[in-house]
Amino acid sequence: MTVNRYTKMAYASADDMIFGNSPNPVKAGLDLEIGAGYTTPEVNYAPRPEAGETKEKLVKEYERITRDIMERMVQVGFPAVVLETEHVQQMTNNPTWGGEVANAQKAIMEDYHDEYGIKCALRHTPGDIREDRDYLQLRGEKYNTLMESFEEVASNGADLLSIETMGGKEVFDRAILRNDVPGMLFAIGCLGTMDMEYIWQDIAKVAKKNNVVAAGDTDCAQANTAMFIAGGLLDKNLAHTLAIIARSISAPRTLAAYEAGAVGPGKDCGYENTIVKSIAGVPIAQEGKSSTCAHSDVMGNLVMQCCDLWSNESVEYHGEFGGTTVQCWSESLAYDCALMNVSLQTGQSKNLRDMMVLSDKYRDPQGYILAYDNAYKIGEAIVKDSDDIYLRAKNAAVECVNLLENADPKLQMTRFEKNALADASEALAGLTDDSDKFLSDSLEQYKKEVKVFRPENYGL
Amino acid sequence: MTSLDLDPSEILERYNVKMEKAMTPDDAAAELYPKDDLIRPIAESIYEGEEDDTVEGLKKAIKAGKDPIALIDDALMVGMGVVTKLYDEGIIFLPNVMMSADAMLDGIDFCKSQAKEPPVSKGKIVCHVAEGDVHDIGKSIVSALLRANGFDVVDLGRDVPVDEVIEAVKKEKPMMVTGTALMTTTMYAFKAVNDRLLEAGIKVPFQCGGGAVNQDFVSTYELGVYGEEAADAPKMAEAILAGADLGKLKEQFHQH
Repeated sequence: MTVNRYTKMAYASADDMIFGNSPNPVKAGLDLEIGAGYTTPEVNYAPRPEAGETKEKLVKEYERITRDIMERMVQVGFPAVVLETEHVQQMTNNPTWGGEVANAQKAIMEDYHDEYGIKCALRHTPGDIREDRDYLQLRGEKYNTLMESFEEVASNGADLLSIETMGGKEVFDRAILRNDVPGMLFAIGCLGTMDMEYIWQDIAKVAKKNNVVAAGDTDCAQANTAMFIAGGLLDKNLAHTLAIIARSISAPRTLAAYEAGAVGPGKDCGYENTIVKSIAGVPIAQEGKSSTCAHSDVMGNLVMQCCDLWSNESVEYHGEFGGTTVQCWSESLAYDCALMNVSLQTGQSKNLRDMMVLSDKYRDPQGYILAYDNAYKIGEAIVKDSDDIYLRAKNAAVECVNLLENADPKLQMTRFEKNALADASEALAGLTDDSDKFLSDSLEQYKKEVKVFRPENYGL
Repeated sequence: MTSLDLDPSEILERYNVKMEKAMTPDDAAAELYPKDDLIRPIAESIYEGEEDDTVEGLKKAIKAGKDPIALIDDALMVGMGVVTKLYDEGIIFLPNVMMSADAMLDGIDFCKSQAKEPPVSKGKIVCHVAEGDVHDIGKSIVSALLRANGFDVVDLGRDVPVDEVIEAVKKEKPMMVTGTALMTTTMYAFKAVNDRLLEAGIKVPFQCGGGAVNQDFVSTYELGVYGEEAADAPKMAEAILAGADLGKLKEQFHQH
């Protein structure tokens, strides 16, 4: 497999972007087509901790989860569903465990498909286990185990392959806590992209061999860490302007999966996916108001704007008044999708999209930038220098800063947010356009500052 | 937007803009700096997070006759006190505290290198990330905030085996242990740490928090005190110094 850079936008204009439709829809699983004119709920869950004690217990737990979701979907009459199994570490570390879980889940889904005709697909997301206690170990023995895990799930029933890779996180964790924008660029834009190119060429090979779909990645480990630390309006841990700069930089990193062979749908927690969709035209999963079971954010409606799969992020399996958690959340997601699908069929989808966007666009700098019109502009900045992983990440950051500095006055920002923005702007203005120089200077600096940073992880 | 637009004032309130203090962080800090001409530049450099200026200021103060170990309390901690006060009051952000803590730690190292006797710390705290968990950004924040408040931190790192936590507690005899975990699957190691500490007859407060950890879970084991946010760690340590026992800590920090 080779790496093919995106050098132009997938859409002629931002206004063409809409939920349930992507220029490059993806067929997956049992009669499902993602991004082909309708949205589909994607349910994500975690087993109860004690279920991980043995393989048998774990398989049983996932069987219960799968049956519960499929049963609820047909009970309430929804036409399609995707299930996402994000591995607990035991499943990835013991590849046959993941394979057995996938096999058991798919058998249940096939039964429901055979009996009711419900369209469905199974996503498996092995954990990025390439870390030991002291260091990231992105290549080597753990990498081989990870690839075995992909092979096992792909050959046992998983239709979509995903992962949330950690490349660059060791430098990012230091940088984000010090308002270090060049460090964020190096960590996410350069190191993260290098790791993505490496791993996704191999995942795409596994997918091709097993005739399943290489679905995509997310910068969860970095951009979501920034979003999580930034928190709500009253939290004082990180300026939300910094969090959205990190998010903008994460888009070219996430894009790298598609450049290395993935086809989508992208992962739910990649809030950068609207930017990615504007460039690559791939279908995307997103999460927002129906993922409050997992975390809070400040753009719960807005991120639904261009989704093809609508996810709940993750919920621990247990009982609620309305059934098990996976039943409750899958039903909520499916009603959200029904509304989007009705709007698509009645020609009112753009109004619904814009209402979703406007409910959050001015809530926070993060929503402002990820609104599809501005996300599209970040996309344009990325493809401008698409062959240069440093410059395209820098362009994304600069465009994000420009958009915020010249934002519609309806977007109110605190002095803290504005000051952090001004500092970021100054730091970006001081950066070289010479990628080699940036890389070598950063390498030298972070080898000194981050004791766990190992350049050989990235082939450096 | 292309087809719709609106005035958002009726549908959202940016409470952070509404509540923002009138005073700028720099103005607020300026009111808190000490008056002494030798000490003030050191405190300022800590607030600015400028390591080189901190060491420069210390050199001048030592040359003028100040005792290097006394400068830790009289200058470095005073500067850091300005930072933590402004953070607690919501006037500055966490990255400012992290950068200031970096400068302060460099300053402490320099003072130690200039002195014959080691400084006396406010108290020792053992920090770790739960066994099986490699996510350590929360622990790094906790450690930095504790150090920023003058506590001596023994940082065991991430994915720390229960045995190793117990050994460290026996060896270091800390006033408090902290544990962070991102996932529900790894936080169960906290229970094991609790049980092993009790077996050994050690009743040290064990502050737990992070990601999926919640108060309900932490309340299920005797030594556990739930920290909803990283900034609770130094507050708990201060409460222990002020005489709070486990019961008092839970009363103060368990809010739900």
